[in-house]
Amino acid sequence: MTTINPYLNLSRQDLIAKAIAIAPKLVSIPISRRLLNYGVWVLAALAFALLCKNVDMTPAVFAKGFKNLLRFFGGMFPPEAAGQEIRILSALAATFAMAVSGTFLAIFGAIPLGLLGAKTLVKQPLAHFLIRRFYDVFRAIPALVWALILIVAYGLGPFAGVVALAFADIPRLAKLYAEAIENCDPKPQDGILAAGGERVAILRFGLVPEVLPVMASQSLYVLESNFRHAAILGIVGAGGIGFELEERIRIFAFDQVAWIVIAYVICVMLLDTISEKIRSHLIHG
Amino acid sequence: MLELKSVSKSFGSKAAVKDVSLAIPVGSMVGIIGRSGAGKSTLLRLINRLCDPTEGKILWRGQPISELKGAKLNQWRARCGMVFQQFNLSPRLDVLTNVLIGSLARQRGLGPLFKVFPIEERARAILELHSIDMEEVALQRCSTLSGGQQQRVAIARTLMQSPEIILADEPIASLDPANSQNVMETLAGINRDRGITVLVNLHALDIARRFCARIIGMNDGQIVFDGPPDALNAAVIDRIYGRQFVENITENPSQMEVKDTLEAVA
Repeated sequence: MTTINPYLNLSRQDLIAKAIAIAPKLVSIPISRRLLNYGVWVLAALAFALLCKNVDMTPAVFAKGFKNLLRFFGGMFPPEAAGQEIRILSALAATFAMAVSGTFLAIFGAIPLGLLGAKTLVKQPLAHFLIRRFYDVFRAIPALVWALILIVAYGLGPFAGVVALAFADIPRLAKLYAEAIENCDPKPQDGILAAGGERVAILRFGLVPEVLPVMASQSLYVLESNFRHAAILGIVGAGGIGFELEERIRIFAFDQVAWIVIAYVICVMLLDTISEKIRSHLIHG
Repeated sequence: MLELKSVSKSFGSKAAVKDVSLAIPVGSMVGIIGRSGAGKSTLLRLINRLCDPTEGKILWRGQPISELKGAKLNQWRARCGMVFQQFNLSPRLDVLTNVLIGSLARQRGLGPLFKVFPIEERARAILELHSIDMEEVALQRCSTLSGGQQQRVAIARTLMQSPEIILADEPIASLDPANSQNVMETLAGINRDRGITVLVNLHALDIARRFCARIIGMNDGQIVFDGPPDALNAAVIDRIYGRQFVENITENPSQMEVKDTLEAVA
């Protein structure tokens, strides 16, 4: 009977010699290449150490603040609402409302911009480049900065928060939508073109069914993260749960802070679970 | 000898393989034919233990392999190479790394996780690639290769396992005729030159006839034919591909009535 594997009979040396004869560069990885591979890791570790030193992230500093931190955590137990349950829960609802309305505004703004930003739809390379860089410029401005500006213009309150979320998310969603449209399979569109469909029909029957679930899932993801952002905007004056939280941290009422944080975490988990279910249904169902 | 003794596999209430018994001598090249859903893929996956039999026993060289677990099971899977219809390579890894994956069952330690393989394994992988004329593209991503090339890389990965048996599940169903020919010749060559037992699932009857000395026909989870290609006459082919079954459904008026009633109810 023939051998199961002809190379098993070869000695280690013969095996390597034979392979080197065929492809000398492939057998052993050159030293330079290896040094480069390890060098990257060494450099990264070095850079991290330098960065830590630069931002004063040393064990001594950590230990100093840690005592305070422990005291605050001690003050959190037992969590206590001090008779303000209704007020806290309605602030949570206000924050959720801010997140929902900000996301809705952002979705409506981002749909046309997403279509414009897809290079499969706007094929002119320079136009595509300029549109996308324009989004990048606005994407660089975070919701917090918008909120600070808008609160000065419109005064304290949720209006500034909602508009700030929308402004920050329009370029973000526009980029995500544009990429979803670009990555979508062109074959269905070919099918509709071949069946005699016009340009609008191609978009309606070839593109929309493909990208709609993806876009919806991305929008839900943005809603999830906006619930967190909205809480932060509350701290700078947009109201809602952020405001309640900030007020109580300032007076060291850590038992009430703990109550709010627990209630907030439960809401976030609920929202994430529901939206995850919807998203997986949209993509697979 | 590969032996299957009354092997059955059901998925929920659906039986994919029903009471199959087989004996395949070491070194044979066997073609398994049948329609989609006849249970061919499940049969191969049972032998490789990608799924577990609901009932029955599988033996290789007298050793029961249907009860293996843990590390022993991984060792068996390495001894029993699998070639897939869609190649199942890692598309973003280069060809050489994909081939080296075939040596994983022999490796210890963390080296392979950082793509560090012993030099003799790299040498073997290169020789395997050379034997299929693919060493030129060793550092290319697999996704850049054509289907035929990818299937040959997949075969090289399987050979790296030093397999005693190779199971090929519709290896040419996604390939054009020239590449199909090439891949089938590669499999036949492996069987001839290395004495590795090859079981290959095929849609196409003519390919099975050309390359396999023994043909097994499956229909509805059962073996309905087992013999040499010459014995495949019209009656046998009908039994495997179930033409009468198809005709029955379209010509049987009572079934049509049932369908109409159901639609009326809905």
